[in-house]
Amino acid sequence: MRIVRSLLSFQGLLVGGAVVIVGYLAIVPLGYLIHDTFLSSDGTGVSFGAFSRAYGGNAQAGDMLLNSMWFALGSAALALVLGTTLAYVQVRTDTPFKGLFFAASLVPLIVPGILYATSWIFLGDPSTGILNSLVFEPLFGATPINIYSVWGMIWVQGLHLAPVAFLLMVAAFRAMDPSLEESAAMSGANRLTVLRRVTVPLLRPAMISAALLMFVQSLESFEVPGLLGLQNGIYVFTSRIYFVLRAYPVDYGAAGAYAIGLLLIAAAGVLLSSWLQRSSRNFQTVTGKAFRPRPVELGRARPFVGVAVILYFLITVVLPVAVLVYASLLKYYAAPSRKALSSMTLDNYRAVLDMPLAFTAPKNSLLLGVGAATAVMVLTAVVSWVVLRTKAPGRRLLDLLAFTPIVIPGLVLGLALSFVYLRMPLPIYGTLLILLISYCTRYLPYGMRYSSAAMAQMSPELEESAHVSGASWFQTFRRVLLPLMSSGILAGWVYILVVSFRELSSTILLYSPGKEVLSVLIWEQFENGQFTTLAALGVLMVLLLVLLVSIAYRLGARFGLQGDSAN
Amino acid sequence: MRTRNTTLAVAGLLVATVTGCGGAIPTASNSKADGVYAQIAKLPKDQQVAKAQELAGKEGKTLSLYTSMTADIATPVAKAFEQKYGIRVSVFRGNSETVLQRALQEGQAGKPGADAVETNFLEMTALSGNGMLVPFNGSALDKVEKTGKFQDWTASRLNVFQPAWNTDLIKPDDEPQSWEDLALPKYKGKLTLEISDSDWYQSVTKWWLDHGKSQAEVDRLWKAIAANGKAAKGHTTMMQFLTAGQTSMEAMNYTYITDRARAAGAPVTHLPASGVSKIPAFARPNGVGMIKGAQHPAAAWLFYHWLLTDGQKELVKLKLTPSTKVPGDKSLDGLTLAPFDVKTLSSATGTWDKKYDALLRGVDTVGN
Repeated sequence: MRIVRSLLSFQGLLVGGAVVIVGYLAIVPLGYLIHDTFLSSDGTGVSFGAFSRAYGGNAQAGDMLLNSMWFALGSAALALVLGTTLAYVQVRTDTPFKGLFFAASLVPLIVPGILYATSWIFLGDPSTGILNSLVFEPLFGATPINIYSVWGMIWVQGLHLAPVAFLLMVAAFRAMDPSLEESAAMSGANRLTVLRRVTVPLLRPAMISAALLMFVQSLESFEVPGLLGLQNGIYVFTSRIYFVLRAYPVDYGAAGAYAIGLLLIAAAGVLLSSWLQRSSRNFQTVTGKAFRPRPVELGRARPFVGVAVILYFLITVVLPVAVLVYASLLKYYAAPSRKALSSMTLDNYRAVLDMPLAFTAPKNSLLLGVGAATAVMVLTAVVSWVVLRTKAPGRRLLDLLAFTPIVIPGLVLGLALSFVYLRMPLPIYGTLLILLISYCTRYLPYGMRYSSAAMAQMSPELEESAHVSGASWFQTFRRVLLPLMSSGILAGWVYILVVSFRELSSTILLYSPGKEVLSVLIWEQFENGQFTTLAALGVLMVLLLVLLVSIAYRLGARFGLQGDSAN
Repeated sequence: MRTRNTTLAVAGLLVATVTGCGGAIPTASNSKADGVYAQIAKLPKDQQVAKAQELAGKEGKTLSLYTSMTADIATPVAKAFEQKYGIRVSVFRGNSETVLQRALQEGQAGKPGADAVETNFLEMTALSGNGMLVPFNGSALDKVEKTGKFQDWTASRLNVFQPAWNTDLIKPDDEPQSWEDLALPKYKGKLTLEISDSDWYQSVTKWWLDHGKSQAEVDRLWKAIAANGKAAKGHTTMMQFLTAGQTSMEAMNYTYITDRARAAGAPVTHLPASGVSKIPAFARPNGVGMIKGAQHPAAAWLFYHWLLTDGQKELVKLKLTPSTKVPGDKSLDGLTLAPFDVKTLSSATGTWDKKYDALLRGVDTVGN
């Protein structure tokens, strides 16, 4: 009886509800995928034929696996180093140009991958790229940059992903008590030793989370391998998935077999990351003691850091966005020349504003972005509590389950959702709700990583003291845990908001006429071959989202989130 | 008290979710639609349009169209149809695979969302093969050539296969004169091949075999072409790099994509300086069909009829190639049309996809 009552308590329902919803969101597409992969061709038994079709014969599975791993590891490493360094400089030092970090952390995330990769093609093509023809050729007489190589792919993907690491690491640095570093310094350790022996180890949960996310996201992304890799025959998992999904009859089994390959790699990553975090008490930096991070004075290094910041900003933001702005003013893309410059016009912006969907699509995207970001962060805050704070049986499995949607190809997710909701008597299919469900599913893994990284930094003594003082579970959660996690939660929220504006692969199957979103509009321009109009749309989207996110941070600051000024 | 209310609400939601999952499968298949289709089909041909108009009025004057036409084409086409019949069109646009997947998913669940479909050859064949379409017998068919008529769908426009090149980078002396020319060493590193063009690969292969080449010769040619080229994804993306001078030549692009880029002022063409191309131009039909069990069957019938009559003129205005003869259509000028092999392509698609994929990756196909 007591068990029933405790299950029916508010806490039980809230936690149970969150677990059930997260489980449900993850299981629907996974079940669909597994069903299609292992069902034998006669539809009755279990079969592994899909795996031999996917990996056997002339599929070059070994090359594909090597390319994929190399690309994903390289991109994740580059993004992690860049994002962490930037976050450190931003939060913990008195660097000049702090305002630039905001743009540097967001713009690469906002620009749709297809535009970002295309901009880099125009910049880094070995023969006609602007960097080669306008910078290296005249200055050094050589054209060293070749974007169509694995290194080029890692470069573009790494820059595109660095904001993920940056957002996570900023939150982690903010929640870190610098007194540990100070004591190390007092005991005679030099700066490098402090960094190596104290700072980095303390950030392990966040770094592992970031690395895992970016690694799997690179494995799963298609824009960069599709645009840059195919040129020189660099095939990865997702190029194979794309191939089997576009042929007819579609071999869902083979696509599923590839996705399950990805899933195994991702699962290994999740297990590795939880093993690395096993002695979690060592990382808890948010404790009962108050702290106030003090910026490290850069001293003589300050101008150099300033230059580095400007350089990074130039490369990741100014260059690609300048290409977009330049393209958006042309009738069709041509390398910069007098002829091209003299034909510039604002027609593309006029065309964008004249589109019938110019206002409904951003509105729908905004609704979905805010809705998905909020829902996912609330759910994952609760679920990460279950995973990290309770001894509930199956919590590891829950963590793993919440991570699986990251490897489900968008089209398969779309098919799974339409399959389920076409057969459900609720008015979900054909409305914005199905897109909301799809976005919540897709971004669940991201929310989970952001939440659990924030939760892992927090010592349970805070909850314990709240509990001792008579607070109920919900009060503790709402008044103690959530505010302390707010840095991480806001970072996750911003991330999901921004990327949901880009989501296309499941959207394209699930949207309904009259309920278009921005990514559908972008896709249409892309299909129309209107790269220049698309560039104009991209520029407007960057402006819109930068505005939105600034508002979010302002609101966050008002509700007690530590702002930049506090550092 | 408040907590209990919240608890109840949450519990209610959970129950709703759980029962929702296991809910019975509703079969909302609209048997009324079949009646409407039959009612129109059995009338004399000169009375069908008036009847369809009358019935479309009773349906609520709306039409749901699923199409892979790009937005800059679908929007004016829908508008022209709306003007003619006062029927509001809501358009779902996706690439042809998406249109097929969505229509199949909805059809299998017994809840078709589309009334009419307009998409590529292979996808129309697949819809037809899955029993999703209803045959049309209106007078509009009289204008369509025999090769454009299929069991329960009809060609509405043609996508024509030709090479395309940047005129700043490929001078008249270097223009390709045949598909074989693409294998010439002078195009080394200049060629781009699209990764999904297996239907082009199949058409050219069949043409070569039918015109006296041995399998070994054909294989050698393809190997040389693949060695000359690089793979790329998406016909419109390729065209954008071609217009920018990033690439010099495309082994195949649809002529309408080249024509539209050229009309915007880009230095690209699919015709030699002489204005006449001798390269066999394969024209792949895209088609229109009516969906079984549709919500607005009469509107679907009207759209089918309109797209093959007045709609053809709209397609010409948009620089597409219509499936019937339309005065003022210049899209086929200078081209040497060759038959598109409908049978082989629709029967053995998977194998051609695999062979083409293997060719691009430079590996041997199994059992070739």
